[in-house]
Amino acid sequence: MKTRILATAAGIAAFIAVAGGMSASAADLEELKEQGFARIAIANEPPYTAVGADGKVSGAAPDVARVIFERLGVKEVVASISEYGAMIPGLQAGRHDAITAGLFMKPERCNAVAYSEPILCDAEAFAVKKGNPLKLTSYKDIADNTNAKIGAPGGGTEEKLALQAGVPRDRVIVVPDGQSGLKMLQDGRIDVYSLPVLSIHDLLDKAKDPNLEVVAPVVGAPVYCDGAAFRKQDVALRDAFDVELKKLKDSGEFAKLIEPYGFSAKAAMSTTRDKQCAAAQ
Amino acid sequence: MEWDWDFVWQIMPTLLEGFKITILATILGAAVAAVIGLALAIARRSPIAAVSRTVGFVAEFIRGTPLLVQLYFIFYVLPDIGIRLSPLVAGVIGIGVHYATYTAEVYRAGIENVPRGQWEAAKAANLTTRQAWIHVILPQAVPPMIPALANYFIAMFKETPLLSAITVLELMNQAKSIANSNYRYIEPMTLVGVFFLAVSLVSVVGLRWLEERYARMDD
Repeated sequence: MKTRILATAAGIAAFIAVAGGMSASAADLEELKEQGFARIAIANEPPYTAVGADGKVSGAAPDVARVIFERLGVKEVVASISEYGAMIPGLQAGRHDAITAGLFMKPERCNAVAYSEPILCDAEAFAVKKGNPLKLTSYKDIADNTNAKIGAPGGGTEEKLALQAGVPRDRVIVVPDGQSGLKMLQDGRIDVYSLPVLSIHDLLDKAKDPNLEVVAPVVGAPVYCDGAAFRKQDVALRDAFDVELKKLKDSGEFAKLIEPYGFSAKAAMSTTRDKQCAAAQ
Repeated sequence: MEWDWDFVWQIMPTLLEGFKITILATILGAAVAAVIGLALAIARRSPIAAVSRTVGFVAEFIRGTPLLVQLYFIFYVLPDIGIRLSPLVAGVIGIGVHYATYTAEVYRAGIENVPRGQWEAAKAANLTTRQAWIHVILPQAVPPMIPALANYFIAMFKETPLLSAITVLELMNQAKSIANSNYRYIEPMTLVGVFFLAVSLVSVVGLRWLEERYARMDD
């Protein structure tokens, strides 16, 4: 009896050791090459990241990642949709090898993950009812108007900007996705829906609702840039990614990839990770 | 991944805020489920076939579809026909009506447990149907069903995290929002579990007491 328990315990210990070892080295470039794909986290927020009706992943961020991983010898990227807030914990837990979702660089995020050089840059925008009845042009305006409610993605940059500007928690509504945000704005549940400029334009273009309009850019909110985010211990992979990103930028292919989506290649090339990580402090 | 007590104390006030909403939603939802469940049970026993069939079908329909789908419907679809409820009200109605279809079965069992002779005696004493329900049937039917009802309310309590899907800022949603901005799941999610477990354990003790107090109807 005793030996059986010991054997079981040894078996469990061995299993944990193997499982632990696997997850620790999963984002090594050689391993990625061998398994033939890299797992990326996306958000389904066009034009950053999009999933078509046929399930095909597109959007500027995955497109860039796909090309770079291909050049690194990783044939495919496999995307999984995640909430913004769950991306970094998911990355740390080994569920993704990289985040390519328009997750803007902010000091606390730079502390948590290893970012590549900037890829997509954008300012913040509001979607509001036609004529902007509450006259909201900045996060501060929302904080000052005790009736104004703002919708934003949970764990996204906009939620934090609103809270930092002093909007109380009960007036910052966490909206699960773009469609819900639009619907809640149309139904009057929220007065403002905040996303980056290009995302708001994309959403409203699709909605074709004449009763909504865009306020962009939001007064006082900085321009943010995202990068592909890797685990802190995967700096080697990040550096390899950066080398190929630099080549893409220099050859002009980078502009060809992202400009059709409306992003400015110049904006991303005129700034650096170090500047972006320090900027908001 | 190590446990950080400082972080626990730092997030505790926020979680308590959410916990208040969880408790509030449970109490209101239980009230809705108790009242509507009784109405459903009585309507199902209606001698008018159209009423009892319709109510039976509606209850079956609600019980046969997921609560999450119903919540989405109440929250996102009803505004299209001009009914705009606040997240909490929508959540309480959704969860309350859903559980009412279950409590209705408890009521039905309780009512059917009252011997037929009691109805006949009430009739013989010249009581109206209303009087028979209020003074004869329900006082005998309700006590034995209290433990079963309480059981459903505890189950309902554990379903309240679903309300986070329609933006109610209850315990689960607060924990998610903390995890979102701190990139840590271990403390907030553990605490959510601890909160629910604490209430469930206390409730189970209360439930035992209710069972001893009410379940034996022959005393």
